[in-house]
Amino acid sequence: MTVASAAVLGLSLVATDAYAQEGFLGRLFDNGNGETNERYEPTIWVDPDGCEHWVMDDGFEGFMTPHVNRKGIPVCRRGNMCGVMNTDQFFATNSARISAGGRERLAKFFKETVATSYIIVGHTDSRASDAYNMRLSFNRANSVAKVASETGAKIADVRGLGERVPAASNRSAAGMAKNRRVEIICIR
Amino acid sequence: MKALHLIASLAAAASLSACDITGESGGGRVDTDKTIDYGQGGRQKDLSQLVAGIWVDPNGCDHWIIDDGIEGYLSQRLDPYGKPVCSGIAPPNTATGPYKGNQTINDPI
Repeated sequence: MTVASAAVLGLSLVATDAYAQEGFLGRLFDNGNGETNERYEPTIWVDPDGCEHWVMDDGFEGFMTPHVNRKGIPVCRRGNMCGVMNTDQFFATNSARISAGGRERLAKFFKETVATSYIIVGHTDSRASDAYNMRLSFNRANSVAKVASETGAKIADVRGLGERVPAASNRSAAGMAKNRRVEIICIR
Repeated sequence: MKALHLIASLAAAASLSACDITGESGGGRVDTDKTIDYGQGGRQKDLSQLVAGIWVDPNGCDHWIIDDGIEGYLSQRLDPYGKPVCSGIAPPNTATGPYKGNQTINDPI
């Protein structure tokens, strides 16, 4: 914007008070209660994890906030989930002890994966009580984290979500098997 | 009152053009397109092209940080469950990575 064109704008402001209230300087110099009602429509910036953020630049300031759905879950185009273990292959029913073969496979995975750190999240199907499943899923996640630590991997967080975040319906045997899992999130 | 309006608007015009010189070509005008990166000294890019680094907060958790030369952006890094990511990539109160990667003008700050 040049001084000349702004001066023209300024003169037109003097000519119409309505424009001064609603228009360019009316809002820039809002000396009433400070309220404005300007359109701020964001665009989307995708972070290196693949998740979306709302972003705006009004010319003076920049603004950014994560794009989450109304339940607080981030909206992502791809995830950083880098491994989902079917717990049937690693644990006996109701046990949080990993079989020898399972430990070997896990250790190989953590040695071959390049990541800054890992988040380990355990899940169960919906059989047994919620409290029992919360405990079992957490213990299993901890067992996985222990193997990871032994290979030198850094663990950012370990969680057990029990039966509360199913990946499939618990009404079928196949669905329940899918829900019995430990997720490995790779933070790169 | 109207004379005051004129003086105020001319002062505004002067300060806006000063911003132009320093590269802030959005100039604080209202009703502009908010999806453009105005901090590029005239070479405007879409905001989707921003390049981020990571700022580690005092609790040790990650945030995406971007300094495009004029504007700063900060947004939380979240895991797939919406929880903070605390990767341990750097000590607390540290910015790391290419967060100044977008700058096309000299920003000493």
